Amino acid sequence: MAALGGSPGVVRAARREAERLVSSRYALVLLVLLPLAGLSLVTAIFWNRLPSDLPVAVVDADRSVLSRRLVRMVDATKSMRVTGPFASPAEAFDEVLSARAYGVLTIPAHLERDVKRGAAPSVALHYNALTMIPGAILKRDMKATVGTLSAGIEIQARKALGETPDVAALRFEPVRSLRGALFNPGLDYFGFLGPALIPTLLSIFVLVGAVHSLGIELRDGTAGEWLEAGGSATRAVAGTLFPQTLHFTALGLLAVAVPFRLLDTPLRGSPALVALATLLFVLACQAMGLLIVALAANLRLASSAAAFYGGPAFAFTGVTFPTFGMPLAAKVWGALLPLTHYLELLLSQATRGAPPSTALGPLAALSAFVLFVPPVALWRMRSLMRDPSYWGRT
Amino acid sequence: MRSVLRAFRDEVLGALRDPGALLVLVGAISLYAFFYPTPYRREVLKEVPVAVVDLDQSLLSRQLVRMADAHELIRVSQRAGSLAEAEALVLDGEAGGVLAISDGFERSVKRGTPATVGVFADATYFLVYRQVLTGLAEAVGTFSAGVEIRRLQALGMPEAKARAFRDPLPLVTRPLFNPAEGYATYVVPGVLILILQQTLLIGIGLRGAADLGALGSGPLLARSAASVAGRSLAFVLLYAVHAVFYFGIVARAFGFPVRGGGLAAAALVLPFLLATSFLGLALSVLFARREMAIQALLFTSLPAIFLAGFSWPPEAMPAWLRVVSQAIPSTSAIPALLRVNQAGATLSQVRSEIAVLWGLAVAFFVLAVLAQAARARRAGRASAAEAFAEERERLPPPSEAPLALEELP
Repeated sequence: MAALGGSPGVVRAARREAERLVSSRYALVLLVLLPLAGLSLVTAIFWNRLPSDLPVAVVDADRSVLSRRLVRMVDATKSMRVTGPFASPAEAFDEVLSARAYGVLTIPAHLERDVKRGAAPSVALHYNALTMIPGAILKRDMKATVGTLSAGIEIQARKALGETPDVAALRFEPVRSLRGALFNPGLDYFGFLGPALIPTLLSIFVLVGAVHSLGIELRDGTAGEWLEAGGSATRAVAGTLFPQTLHFTALGLLAVAVPFRLLDTPLRGSPALVALATLLFVLACQAMGLLIVALAANLRLASSAAAFYGGPAFAFTGVTFPTFGMPLAAKVWGALLPLTHYLELLLSQATRGAPPSTALGPLAALSAFVLFVPPVALWRMRSLMRDPSYWGRT
Repeated sequence: MRSVLRAFRDEVLGALRDPGALLVLVGAISLYAFFYPTPYRREVLKEVPVAVVDLDQSLLSRQLVRMADAHELIRVSQRAGSLAEAEALVLDGEAGGVLAISDGFERSVKRGTPATVGVFADATYFLVYRQVLTGLAEAVGTFSAGVEIRRLQALGMPEAKARAFRDPLPLVTRPLFNPAEGYATYVVPGVLILILQQTLLIGIGLRGAADLGALGSGPLLARSAASVAGRSLAFVLLYAVHAVFYFGIVARAFGFPVRGGGLAAAALVLPFLLATSFLGLALSVLFARREMAIQALLFTSLPAIFLAGFSWPPEAMPAWLRVVSQAIPSTSAIPALLRVNQAGATLSQVRSEIAVLWGLAVAFFVLAVLAQAARARRAGRASAAEAFAEERERLPPPSEAPLALEELP
């Protein structure tokens, strides 16, 4: 498209489109207000970044010094909050089914006595596995809390066997793991999901914007004038898409930069590379929009097809459930989405700070959309633009 | 009542002649049900590749590596000579984590001083992070327990006693309602409910504004109310069938746990579909062109799914957002229907959500009636005579015309 940059046809088509966009209230809503609302909403949802004070229903059948200590320790964690105590497990499970608790901690009767006897009585955590993040946090932090208490009891028992406190502290867990998170040290959920959700929303708006601007020429029967302004189908299409290319690339960079600043999430990697990828990503989404309009040959059908293509895309990108765990069909569909490649690059650059060489694959994939999809689409678009029997269909 | 039935019949007949709307209201329902879950077909992410840096190269370190490899969540895919080399493998996406065993590991274990191994997981992708950290930490924990139990046995303690001694207060953890902790079981049922809402909102938008003139010439608000009620009846009946298909057939086809009582589910689905239909009719007056419904509503799926709180807890959202999000039917319907369908919650355990959904249904009914009436009034003012003539033209064949006349109050 760079070769067309200076040609008067492209400039005429771009000016024609820019005038249409500026004078249309709907274009303002679709291209500016809704994207800003969507991006702000996603940022607001993850504003607190880490869940805290998740309610856990406690059934304490022991009511001893030890059991009360355990309950206090759970309540003192940042992530959990104790509700209850409940007299019976049935009452506690009712809390889970009523969405007032994410799990149930059951402390059996005679816990303290049995611990003293060395019978190792177990406490149980039942957590709601239909709510994945709270369930996982409860499991992890309850293990840590009960583990700390258990280790303290073991150290006491070792001292009772005659070990000095220092020796007991050395012996209680012979191999310890030093756990660490690579690249997202706060394990912040905005860090996990923000860099993925923001481009996902953007891809929907770019796709819809391209489909709208190209399809409206067919719907309103203005494709003749449009073709004339451009001089050729290629120039007319390039000129029409150009204002939105600029708009969405700028919005994309803003959307990646601002929430990260606001939420103090480090953006590593090369800004130039991210900027180049964002431009290619916008162009690739526009290319797919063009293909959809060319195949559907009608704005409403094209909008439906864009919804099917862009709506469920997030599930196929591999951000939540990784690509290597997917069946082949889902992998193939994912590879046919520009979003998949852009997110691979963005997460690797922004979150991991990976070396630029890792960006080559995704950049090549995005370039392939930009280079190979438009010629195929234009081949059919050309006849749609010339044949009035395709115009005015709704 | 007659005009309600009239609006109902017109909607059914109109929709049947509207392939664009049918594509969304009927076609998308079955297409999405089988297309959307494909990435998650394998349910549990297992055998995530992990790189090992073993600087000790001892009998014990090799044993630890074998235990890590044997854990179902991870597999040892590569060996790296240094931590930097291992980190590069993670950066290239070849490994999801690193197990680092330093020089002197075996010596420490044998000497009885604590040995520390590094367990690092790539936190760029949270499911990878979780599986790798769980797998590695459990492997190291099992290894450590083995060492400690052998030491205590060497001191003359029987094995069972040694096991109790080293962990005097064990914790047992059990997942509820999703025993295998499958990803599809967690995400797909909630998304199916969202698909019902989104296709209904978009489908109603595609159907466009009501033809209030066809409902006789009574007071505008009465005609608007009859139109909203009658058309919603058509949508609710259609979507009740979809809900039965999703909760009864699709859920079983994918092997999701189905524990729910039909009564509690029906008590939620009815106000959910009513509220969504009324909201759709209220929003539809905003769409001057039919395709605007798709264009403007498509992006709302993503925020709506997170606002429904089944993946991201409401406790972690700003308070104002939790309040505002109650205006979206799915915010109450998704968590409540998941509890009923997957967890077996009873009617009284979802009563607060039922109350919210009925509240939304009433509010959106009023909104839809006012919005449709305002739109008709505006259109009427624009060209009253023209509109009247057009509406007469659109009336069904003469044999049906008396029906419309009888409706005159």
